[in-house]
Amino acid sequence: MKVREVFLVDDDFIFREAAEVLITSSGLTEKVLHFENGLEVYNKLVELSEAPEHLPEIMLLDINMPVMNGWELLEELRMEKSVIRDYVQIHILTSSIAPEDLNLSKEYEFIDGYITKPLTRADLKKLSQSVVAEE
Amino acid sequence: MADDLQLYVDIKNLPVPIALLDVQLNILEHSHRFYDFFDFIHQDKRPDTLEGLIGTLPKSIASLKKSKGFVDQNIKEFVSYISRKGELRWHKLKLYPNKANKQYYAYFDDITKDKIAFDLSQQAAQTAIIGSWEVDLVNHKIFWSEMTRKIHEVQEDFEPDLETGINFYKEGEHREKIIQVVSEAIENGTPYDVELIIITAKGSEKWVRAIGNAEMVNGKASRIFGVFQDIDKSKRERIKYQELDNRMRVALESVKVGIWDFDIENNKLVWDENMYKLYQVKKDDFSGDFEAWEKTVHPDDKEKSLIELQEAIDGTKNFNTEFRVKTQEGTIKHIHGFGKVFRDKNGKAVRMIGANTDISRIKKADNRLRELLTTTEKQNKSLLNFAHIVSHNLRSNSSNLSMLTGMLLDDTCPEKRERFLEMIKISSERLDDTVVQLNEVIKIQSDPNVNLQWVNVKVGLTEVLESINAHLEEIDPNIDIQIGDNLRVHGVKPYISSIFLNLLTNSLKYRKPNIKLKIVIKAHEEEGYTTISFKDNGRGIDMERHGHKLFGMYKTFHGNKDAKGVGLFISKNQMDAMNAEIEVLSKADQGATFLLRFPNHKKTTA
Repeated sequence: MKVREVFLVDDDFIFREAAEVLITSSGLTEKVLHFENGLEVYNKLVELSEAPEHLPEIMLLDINMPVMNGWELLEELRMEKSVIRDYVQIHILTSSIAPEDLNLSKEYEFIDGYITKPLTRADLKKLSQSVVAEE
Repeated sequence: MADDLQLYVDIKNLPVPIALLDVQLNILEHSHRFYDFFDFIHQDKRPDTLEGLIGTLPKSIASLKKSKGFVDQNIKEFVSYISRKGELRWHKLKLYPNKANKQYYAYFDDITKDKIAFDLSQQAAQTAIIGSWEVDLVNHKIFWSEMTRKIHEVQEDFEPDLETGINFYKEGEHREKIIQVVSEAIENGTPYDVELIIITAKGSEKWVRAIGNAEMVNGKASRIFGVFQDIDKSKRERIKYQELDNRMRVALESVKVGIWDFDIENNKLVWDENMYKLYQVKKDDFSGDFEAWEKTVHPDDKEKSLIELQEAIDGTKNFNTEFRVKTQEGTIKHIHGFGKVFRDKNGKAVRMIGANTDISRIKKADNRLRELLTTTEKQNKSLLNFAHIVSHNLRSNSSNLSMLTGMLLDDTCPEKRERFLEMIKISSERLDDTVVQLNEVIKIQSDPNVNLQWVNVKVGLTEVLESINAHLEEIDPNIDIQIGDNLRVHGVKPYISSIFLNLLTNSLKYRKPNIKLKIVIKAHEEEGYTTISFKDNGRGIDMERHGHKLFGMYKTFHGNKDAKGVGLFISKNQMDAMNAEIEVLSKADQGATFLLRFPNHKKTTA
């Protein structure tokens, strides 16, 4: 199942660039939007929540980022209008293998997945299947 | 007749129990007290014969009666009978003949009490196993009492002499000793009291106490006599106790336990040998009162110890504490003190006995353990940080490499081939940088005993400023250094330079865009610390939000793309390694002040 748009939130431009190639070539989507940190994507999401049909179907979110990290963003989203949480599938995408991070992610019931880097084709296949399942 | 009459009158009024008997021992007359003496109150029931009064007559008196005639003889007898009150009574009965009338006077004396006392002493001698002996040196006669024979385990008809008596003593020191003391008694009349071993007739060893005295006539002993006591049981127990006591002494000495005994009422303190060793006080220098102990206690522990002692005496708390003492040589010892309070029947504390143990070595080991624990805790924390780095920077770069190489091999996007190779190069360089930084961290942490030396602050600072002068020229900040030329801190020079550099570049990086950067570097000393402060007017840090993770690895707070967050983490580790502290005072948008606090503890040796 192809989605219209994916938000990719990561402070590492190498990763974003490589991940975009992988995502588009996997056929999940043709449109990947880059964000460098939590604050940038937060502002965009709030803006789009006025017109929910423009929200992305999927957001891949890194944890360790400057300015506003992944957890801080999730805290903000928890306070926001539920339309963002309802519409956007949020998947953590991190290089952390610390169990604390995985456990912490379980405290956010609106998180749909937890992927450990490197991002693989298998991950993306699962992702596209989960979108089918939801719809 | 006149004599008789007088006698008759005398008997009646004599204040003693006395009666006049005929030859058949019938009672003819009696004193007023006579029947009272035998507890007869009513006249009708009074027996009128001697037999009726005391029951079976002693042999001598019975034969007197049997002879049917008058016998002119004084008779003295002890009689016992059960009184009308049911008590066993002992009386001395004396019969005096009255020749003229062929009658007898019978006089009674109550000796019950004496008899009991005598019996008791007999019994006591029996219980204490005391025998007596006597040697008549003039007639060469020797006497052993029954008990003395019993102690020697000889037959009743055994006939001892001085030599056989002495031969009972065990050969060797015991026999030599008895010969010596008996000779001295005979020659000089010196009394003796010795405890020795005999071998009884039946061959068993026995401890005895032999006490001897000599009776001197014209400077020569005519007789020696004394008592002889079987002390085997008590002596053996005493020896056992002595051994036990010796063993305990050895035990106490080996674990360095001293025993003290404090007479509270008289302020008298008694120490055993170990206490003197423990406190390194000479016996002659110890005045034996409470103040003598108090003087030895470390000034810092004195008040606490005195309070705890008072609490023990008041009964509110047991005395079980630790304190330090300062010996005359100036060494400090850690003592564990334990004491028990003894009270009189009114509950007043009169005496205290206790033990002191030297726990200096244990204490030392304990402190070392604590230090190790703190170090381990610190290292654990660092390891956690370390794990974070591994997970973040190493893994993010290695996963990039893995993704990029994967796509190259799959030919995912042939037209981006060159770009992928470029990205691989960047990622490997980053990986290399990270490894270098990690190496830096490990170097600090794996060297807990870094060589600390005195580092001149101003010189170090000047060197750092020179190393970044190109950067400084570009930004042109106002740097105000208020530090004396001679100020030194105890640390590691490369660490201090690295920290200075880190703080300065931070200030340059996070300056406010439209205001001229101002940095003030100051130092001040207080309470054994030298604090160096770096104050800037830059963007500052939201402490409420970031304060707790400021010195963690890879935390950045300014939204600056270059911020890797590793600088403060390394600075913090370097400060830790120098036993120094780093602290930050800041508010978002209001500049930041970093404080570097160095301990001055070794200043005197500088």
